[in-house]
Amino acid sequence: MLPFCASLACAARSDGLSGHGHDGRGAVIPCPQKFEIDIVKAFCDEALGWAVLNKTLTETIMNWKKFFIAFVAAFGFLFLFGFVWFAKLMHGAHQEVSILWRTEADFGNHFSALVFGHIVMAFFFTLACVKFVPAGGAGACATLGILVALIHAGADMITFAVQPLTTKILCGWIAGALIQFAIAGAIIGAIYKTDSTSTT
Amino acid sequence: MKRFFLAFIAAYVFLFLWGWLLNGVLLKDVYAETPNLWRPQSEMMSLFHWIIIGRALIVFAFVMIYASGFAGGGVIAGIRLGVLLEIAAIGMRMGFYAVQPFPGKLIVYGSIGGLIEMVIVGAIVGAIYKPAPARAA
Repeated sequence: MLPFCASLACAARSDGLSGHGHDGRGAVIPCPQKFEIDIVKAFCDEALGWAVLNKTLTETIMNWKKFFIAFVAAFGFLFLFGFVWFAKLMHGAHQEVSILWRTEADFGNHFSALVFGHIVMAFFFTLACVKFVPAGGAGACATLGILVALIHAGADMITFAVQPLTTKILCGWIAGALIQFAIAGAIIGAIYKTDSTSTT
Repeated sequence: MKRFFLAFIAAYVFLFLWGWLLNGVLLKDVYAETPNLWRPQSEMMSLFHWIIIGRALIVFAFVMIYASGFAGGGVIAGIRLGVLLEIAAIGMRMGFYAVQPFPGKLIVYGSIGGLIEMVIVGAIVGAIYKPAPARAA
């Protein structure tokens, strides 16, 4: 181990990474360029090295427990808000173009697609939040939520151009998406926060 | 800012061309199966500015998300972001499928087309947009 440590310290010294002088931790040997061999613990202690490696790993690995809680909370909120906003509050507006929607019975047959769609949406939105702001935080994730809502708003505008929707529906969808994703982002950011790097 | 603008323009041009190819050419027959769900062609053309604004908003938001949280990772980071957002959008598309009588194949083909679209948009944005170098202290 010593030759490796010595050469490493020698290289470090040549790069100016460690200080000069004799502090009793190492020995001076004749080097062609008068390098000082200083056995520094930070370079040589394997246990310390592993600890550093471990820390680096935990910084990049997600906290899955918090992620799962954030995902479930996001799903619950997205589904509940969607029901209240789009199904209840906008019911009248939607009925103005009833030809565009499935009948009650047909909707019941496709309800699983609605649930599964929300699960997929919540999962990948949570993942986007965690990748976007690894440290979490309600404000930053709410900002991402607003940006994601803008993507949905853009898609809604295109839908408005090709489907016979009313402007009331378009405005309702855009406002709904902005509120829905901003709050969902804030919830995710608040749950997946702070010491997320301490656990794997 | 210059690279942001360049990434925006390049992605916008691609998105527009791809949107035309996918929806106007490749999926034309699938759309024709449900004519009562769509506006007549002349009406669509009179509302075409909404398509222009809508696509611009999508690209702007995408580049903003990339620039504020994923920049520095290059093309791979852009593609990852595109895939992430598109799969979330597939979830949204499934929600629409549950409430609107679209044919199932329209959702499947639309999702595949959307995934290809966002992968390429991500690659374009990732290749063009580079974060500003950090200033020396």
